Amino acid sequence: MKLNLTLWGFIKKELSQTLRDPRMRTMLFVAPVMQMTLFGYALSTEVRNLRLAGVYQPSDAYARSLETRLYASGLFKPAKIGDSDPYQAVYSGKADAVFVVPPEGLKASMARGQGQIQLLVDATNSTRAQSVENYFNAVMNDQLKDLKIIPADQPHLALSVRMLYNPAMETSYFMVPGVLAMLLVLVTMTLTSSSITREKEMGTFETLIAAPVEKWEIIVGKTLPYVLIGVADIPIVMLFATQIFHVPIRGPLWQLGLGGLVFVCAGVGIGTLISTVAKNQQQAMMAGFLVVFPAQMLSGLMYPLENMPKSIVWISYFNPLKYFVTIMRSVTLKGGDPVVFWMNLWPMALIAAFAILFAFRRFHQRLN
Amino acid sequence: MNFISRDSRTLSIARKEFRHIARDPFTLGMALGLPLLLLVFFGFAIDFDVRDIHLTVFDRDNTRISRQFVDSIRGTGLFIIKPGVGGVNDDLDHERVKGTLVIEKGFGEDLRGGKSPKAQLLMDGADNSGAGVIASYLGGLVPAAWIRLKGLEAARMPIQLKTRFLFNGELNSRWFIIPGLAVLIMGLLATLLTATTVAREWEHGSMELLLSTPVKPIEIILGKLLPYLCLGLGAVLLIYVSARLVFGLPFAGSHLLYLVGCLLFLIPCLALGLIISSVARQQQVAMQMSMMITMLPSMLLSGFIFPVESMPAFFYYITAIIPARWFIVVSRGLYLKGEGIVELALPLGILLVMNVFFVRLALKKFKADLEP
Repeated sequence: MKLNLTLWGFIKKELSQTLRDPRMRTMLFVAPVMQMTLFGYALSTEVRNLRLAGVYQPSDAYARSLETRLYASGLFKPAKIGDSDPYQAVYSGKADAVFVVPPEGLKASMARGQGQIQLLVDATNSTRAQSVENYFNAVMNDQLKDLKIIPADQPHLALSVRMLYNPAMETSYFMVPGVLAMLLVLVTMTLTSSSITREKEMGTFETLIAAPVEKWEIIVGKTLPYVLIGVADIPIVMLFATQIFHVPIRGPLWQLGLGGLVFVCAGVGIGTLISTVAKNQQQAMMAGFLVVFPAQMLSGLMYPLENMPKSIVWISYFNPLKYFVTIMRSVTLKGGDPVVFWMNLWPMALIAAFAILFAFRRFHQRLN
Repeated sequence: MNFISRDSRTLSIARKEFRHIARDPFTLGMALGLPLLLLVFFGFAIDFDVRDIHLTVFDRDNTRISRQFVDSIRGTGLFIIKPGVGGVNDDLDHERVKGTLVIEKGFGEDLRGGKSPKAQLLMDGADNSGAGVIASYLGGLVPAAWIRLKGLEAARMPIQLKTRFLFNGELNSRWFIIPGLAVLIMGLLATLLTATTVAREWEHGSMELLLSTPVKPIEIILGKLLPYLCLGLGAVLLIYVSARLVFGLPFAGSHLLYLVGCLLFLIPCLALGLIISSVARQQQVAMQMSMMITMLPSMLLSGFIFPVESMPAFFYYITAIIPARWFIVVSRGLYLKGEGIVELALPLGILLVMNVFFVRLALKKFKADLEP
């Protein structure tokens, strides 16, 4: 097949325009890797380092050993509250939780059958507050068993929990592929929309229309380079993901490639669509933001989609990011089940096709 | 602010910038409508509570007792249970359910025989948003189910734990999200809008024009930033009203302190926008930079969702340079806890230092740009 010279020219021009700017290069290739490193190491849904303090009489050996055990569990760390009132300590943010033992001492109160500990928890973060209570209860039970206050080998309902695909619950395993998806959407959508609106803003778009090139060549020529840039980001990020974070790729690589390509096309398509609506770059940016932000929130990456109201779940069906995040997780962690892959690929392909078709039509109207 | 009183050139530039924004209804609508839209949208959408969890149950025992156990899970009303067919992992592999419960054979017999009956819960570990919460919730159901199955009276623990959940007694996760989301939206708007509009001025060359006039650089900067400060404060008001009226959040602290905090937060954000614009000089680059520098970090590293305390030490200290991380503390403290200036002295003090730092950096960057 003879290579279309116009198209080739377009690709060369767009690529060199984007890549000649060293800051743009950094943004495109270095920033994703840096962010991945940051997010892969730093973010964790695990609850850790809860600052806890105990208020009890200095002579209360039971309470002291409970406190030591709580700190030794690794979930809590000592909070210095001095002589302040327990409520005040939580209020002022010196501690996340404070437990208060009756002044008569834990042992004496247990002997009277009135054993009680009051736990004051800062519930600003509700999920974290619940964990504080759960952990505290668990550590307290262990302590009571060790002290033979409650029997240790009582029969109980033995429910063992196994986390499939990611037994150690490594945060990087699910965050890193997710960050790739988020970055791709940023890169493809914003680059495409701003590149086209810039031509509009500068008035060079009119020159382009007047030039002896076919309409489809303009459209393909303005979008294809960004598809290429987006696709180029995938292996770079995945190399880092696998080498540095040891994120496994248990599924076939072609699923990753094909899924990524379709996703990038959807992103570029939506970006082009935005550029046909927006008059200038600022508008394009705001419109892009309006799309990117909800897309990230409704991707299932950080927030459970199942819990959302039906109407919002419905919106999420139009979110290509949701499908790509699912595919990424399936390919990296679950071995790339073909049913999951195709079931998530076709809606993404449909979104891409619609976005491109619509963008093409709007472009067409403008060009005529 | 003696330069404002000294002459009105700053105000003239501000007026011009205001007209720029107002003339462009799209920008105006975005700057004011977007925050509210996002707040309402995500205020309703995000919910970390366990609800409508799809669970597959393989009852290998299939006795009265094992069925009773399943009933006690169904009885919570939080799970949608379907009986398992085929391989144990099938439903999880195909992402049809969040978890699979396997009740081992001999469950009922063990229970009657005084042994520990066994069950296994398989969770989708590839989904971080739900797996941990659901597993711990199901784990919490076990003692109650045990008592029910054994037909025992609830045994009284020798020590009763009486927990008081302060400041958010109903453990409503929205109360946690909304004060944080407000900060996020404010910061993003302030930095993004400033970075791109000022970069546009550089790109079009009108900044050089402006600089060649007798207007002093400081006046240009202030004039350019003032409108965006007002826009940011407008967004704060919208968020505040909707948080109170729509989501029923309390506001326990001082409004004046909140206003001071907002200013202390918005100014470094605006200055950061200015710095980005003078580094980037192009709208496209400015847009990318501000998205990368502000959007992702302030969403993920600010404690908005992921608690900064859970981060490794190195990153914990890195988060200290993100203004949003400190203002989130202030915002939550004022909305939920009603903290005063004494309790908030640290975050407010740090924001103040950031003000000095970012404003000076912006001025320096701007001055350096002027010299050939």
